[in-house]
Amino acid sequence: MFSSSGRRIDRVTILFLFLVALGFIVATFDVRSSGGGVAAIMREGTQSMFTPFQKGVDFVTRPIVGFVDGVSNLAGLRDENDRLGARVRELEGKVQATEALEEQVTQLEAINGLEVPDELATVTARINASGPSAFDNVRYIDKGSEDGIVKGQAVVDEDGLIGRVDLVSANAARIRLITDPIVSVGIRVLSTNETGIVTGRGDGPLRLEMFRAEETVNEGDRVVTDGSRFPPGIAVGKIRTTADAEVGFVLRTDVNPAALLSQIDYVKVIVGWSPIDAGLVDDEISPASVTTSSSSTTVGN
Amino acid sequence: MSRSRVVISLLAVLVAIVIQTTVLAPGRIQLLGVAPAFVTLVLIGVSLQVESEYLLLIGFTSGILMDLIGSGTLGLWAMTLTVIAYAAGRLRGRFTEGSGYVIGIVFGLTVFGQFLFVLLGTLFGQGTIAEPGVFSKILLPGVWNAFLALPVFWVLGKAYWSRQNEWAI
Repeated sequence: MFSSSGRRIDRVTILFLFLVALGFIVATFDVRSSGGGVAAIMREGTQSMFTPFQKGVDFVTRPIVGFVDGVSNLAGLRDENDRLGARVRELEGKVQATEALEEQVTQLEAINGLEVPDELATVTARINASGPSAFDNVRYIDKGSEDGIVKGQAVVDEDGLIGRVDLVSANAARIRLITDPIVSVGIRVLSTNETGIVTGRGDGPLRLEMFRAEETVNEGDRVVTDGSRFPPGIAVGKIRTTADAEVGFVLRTDVNPAALLSQIDYVKVIVGWSPIDAGLVDDEISPASVTTSSSSTTVGN
Repeated sequence: MSRSRVVISLLAVLVAIVIQTTVLAPGRIQLLGVAPAFVTLVLIGVSLQVESEYLLLIGFTSGILMDLIGSGTLGLWAMTLTVIAYAAGRLRGRFTEGSGYVIGIVFGLTVFGQFLFVLLGTLFGQGTIAEPGVFSKILLPGVWNAFLALPVFWVLGKAYWSRQNEWAI
């Protein structure tokens, strides 16, 4: 069955070399086309093909997986419970202080004639699949263009920014996480009110670059979106390491993401907000069509 | 060469891709934050059942599907799994020499596959090699695959055996 004659080995090797060369050509073509064109159509088609199976397997295995996960984390859960109890008491005190501040803000807005923007419209979705390897920074959700989701919309959870939609089919969509190296986010550091860009590194903390920073950013300072491509004020993370601003130099440091990206389950897609260049996105892509991008998702400052 | 073996092999890698992207997704069943490279493992298991030419085509096809579902450049997993399929086809004679060989080969091929993907990703401008935790993402799937190799190969063997008997009847 498995002859090892010289002729047969040659045939296998030739086929092997042909397939590797084909893969190389496909990769080159994909890089040249920036993930668009035929590749985009194939990606959307493949995802449409896999989505029903992924939803089915996710539905069947979720309780089992949850049980296994719960058992494996039982010891850690007790410590976590104690820690969260202390945190709740601390936050209750802060809520009281915040309520007083809210009252002041309301009065000031009334005085200045400001209008508070309406609550942003969102679509709640469930994560039902991920990329096939540890090097993929994407998640798939169970809502698509039929629910009003289009490419470019921001995705958040209760902790903060998760990523943005970069591929949409009728009943599913792909989210590219903020940890992806090709995703950048325009941000504002709350303590200094200065802006910059955070970029994913594949995993772990995000890289922050501030080009016109004049003040030092300190460990623990909160970082939020600046409103350029994502709605303003969404928590992105906290400064990981204190960094000094040097005139004429770029301030660089790391930011710990606010959202626990390895454990997201439910997310909200913000469908009621358009970025500055929403017109460009909408012109390029209709909701029901293929929508992929491998270019940077950011807007600089 | 039975056509049924090729069909079962294709079904096996499709099921492996679905399992990899759902059950073994981040936040589900993962040890130390990294999942087994399940598709690679199933492809190595398939190498025991089909001839080398078919194995190469199955490796390339499963790689393209992974590329299409993943976020990276199209073709990188296709090249990686084609190389794994070629190597597995060459080494299949060793699988009969004992469980230790099976585990060792699975570990070696998985780690090599992960490393090759990182290398190709870096060559194609994805900066994969600079990712934090890249070494654990290369090594740990090899360790998990080594643990899973024998049970997964047993299940695969049963699938081929049962289908073959059913069709024979």
